[in-house]
Amino acid sequence: MKFKVRESGNVTIIDLSGKLMGGCDADIFRDLIHELLEKGRRQVIVNLSEITWVNSTGVGILITGYTTLRKNKGDLRLLNVSNKIQSILYVTKLNLIFECFEDEQAAVASFTG
Amino acid sequence: MSEEMMIALEFPSSYQWLNMIDLVCGEVTAEMGFSHNALNEISISVIEACTNALEHGNKCCPDCNVRAVFRRLPDRIVIEVTDCGEGFDFHEYLKHIPDPSDIHKKRGRGIYIMKAMMDALDYERVQDGGMKVILEKMVDGGEEEDE
Repeated sequence: MKFKVRESGNVTIIDLSGKLMGGCDADIFRDLIHELLEKGRRQVIVNLSEITWVNSTGVGILITGYTTLRKNKGDLRLLNVSNKIQSILYVTKLNLIFECFEDEQAAVASFTG
Repeated sequence: MSEEMMIALEFPSSYQWLNMIDLVCGEVTAEMGFSHNALNEISISVIEACTNALEHGNKCCPDCNVRAVFRRLPDRIVIEVTDCGEGFDFHEYLKHIPDPSDIHKKRGRGIYIMKAMMDALDYERVQDGGMKVILEKMVDGGEEEDE
């Protein structure tokens, strides 16, 4: 998994690419979320458009980010969720947890109201 | 109707090989008559089975291999994934299967996902040690439209 971080106002957008799975990905993503929190950036969009595939461990990584941000009065929302990831979220009922968007402007606007 | 065939692969316990398994799975199941959604479900389930095998079965030990067998039958695909681990009591596990929507759990969703996405799922111990998961999905006609 690789990532790039950019900003849109108070919202941070993390562009993930490659494979989202176990191994060191969990540590990398956890550290990234903690770095953002230290900078006071709690509103996060994770863009999954360049993720080639994901497993349930990868979804668990996103959940860890979500719970960490929520505990710090922030939120994590998903952008460009593929059919495969949607299937995993739906089956596990995690689609009720994550807010998903297909349009980046709409995702950013969901934070800014 | 697709031709009957069997493909077996064995790979070290490393995530890097999961992509290869996904590609092989796609090739084996192509043109069998599965809908796009069913193909996604098979792909997701095979990756979950292999992830469980290398993480939980083989504890990511590079000296332990995972074996994946794809059996293409006229009316279904059967996939067996075998690890070298100690195994577990699958039917006991099913009695206490964790809630997959529990956001406090980082892991433990793989079996739930496979069970939901495949038509049949079972585990059995292998005689020489290790655990085998058997996944099965019936051909659904392939006419279903994606949402």
